[in-house]
Amino acid sequence: MNMKHNSGTDGEPIERDAEKAFRRYAASHNERLRDQLVKMHQNLVRYLASKFVNRGEPFEDLVQVGTIGLINAIDRFDPDRGIKFSTYATPTVVGEIRRYFRDKAWSMKVPRRLQELNIAASKAQDSLSSRLGRAPTIREVAERIGATEEETLEAIELGNAYDTVSLDTQMSSDPDSSAMTLGEYVGAEDVTIQNLAAYGDLTQAIEHLEPRERMIIVYRFFRDMSQADVAANLNISQMHVSRLQSQALRTLKKLLVDEYQT
Amino acid sequence: MTDKMEKLSDALLDLAVVTLTFPCSAEYVSIARLAILGIASRMAFSYDEVEDIRLAVGEACTHAVERSVVADMRAPTNDGHGTITIVSTMTINELTVEIKDDVPTGFPPEGVFQDPVGIDIDRQGLGALLMEILVDKVDVDTTPNGTCVRLVKHAHGV
Repeated sequence: MNMKHNSGTDGEPIERDAEKAFRRYAASHNERLRDQLVKMHQNLVRYLASKFVNRGEPFEDLVQVGTIGLINAIDRFDPDRGIKFSTYATPTVVGEIRRYFRDKAWSMKVPRRLQELNIAASKAQDSLSSRLGRAPTIREVAERIGATEEETLEAIELGNAYDTVSLDTQMSSDPDSSAMTLGEYVGAEDVTIQNLAAYGDLTQAIEHLEPRERMIIVYRFFRDMSQADVAANLNISQMHVSRLQSQALRTLKKLLVDEYQT
Repeated sequence: MTDKMEKLSDALLDLAVVTLTFPCSAEYVSIARLAILGIASRMAFSYDEVEDIRLAVGEACTHAVERSVVADMRAPTNDGHGTITIVSTMTINELTVEIKDDVPTGFPPEGVFQDPVGIDIDRQGLGALLMEILVDKVDVDTTPNGTCVRLVKHAHGV
């Protein structure tokens, strides 16, 4: 059935073996058979896991997590449905790997590897500069820290942006005065200045709308689209468009009136 | 609608287009991945979503490079100096990335790559599947003179 893999020396027989093993496992749910199937498809998991290595988790951890997906796929695979196992298992394996990342809640935390790379890269930049008597190239830095050029560039460019600092970080190194924390230095918004600067004209006021309200205003009044067209475009009901539109207009009015009053 | 109005409404919808053209060869794929990282980071995507987009674009580029290697071997007329053009269109709520190559199509890749993964893995097939998982929409347009992969990812806000 599958003639694609005639390049390999023994691709075909193993493929047929797998199919047979799946039939037997579906019927018997024998654990040893399952182990065999898991081993047989480790390469698939390793291949997929390798695609996610630059996100800051060790490759072996990703293989572990992916293997959980693989086991689930083996349990649910129906060899008679006529699709290839790799096609069936890939979404499950990748899903498990992505969930692993999602559960780590990266939004506040920098991937550790990127943080480490950033530190290593700036150290390497310093030491290479003094040794070479010139600024090192990205390739030189990459070689020094044992990363690819892409990773190095990313670490240098974006490493700092990902950095989070606690509001309780003490800002003063003077032991005599009581140290202020970063939180104490953070100013509050000056509402008056903000109003003056922000609500200058209609264009700017529109920018203060929620993205969806903004789209409705732009579609309706700049592009002359009907409420029905806008509704279709945003995939919401026309009534919803109408409600959001009046809400947006009220907001705009308020922003502009407030501006004249201050 | 006048040009000015069109410009204004584009600006209000944050419509911006970034185009990158580079040689169709493996060492440039990382540049594309970096550029996409920068582009997607400007939008309302989470760190993981940015990485998903980057991975999908990287896969599309890698496949173009692989097809180019195959075409060079199978078609002596192909001079091996193809290019890949990536057009990224940003709006408020979605990112569209088109990856276009000028590699002549119709040359099956079987037997060209020593596959470390072994049996049961069809790289192009799995790559396409991976893209489907990572972004919201994948369209592949194949002509005799090249392939265009179009990826769309919705930004749900962070």
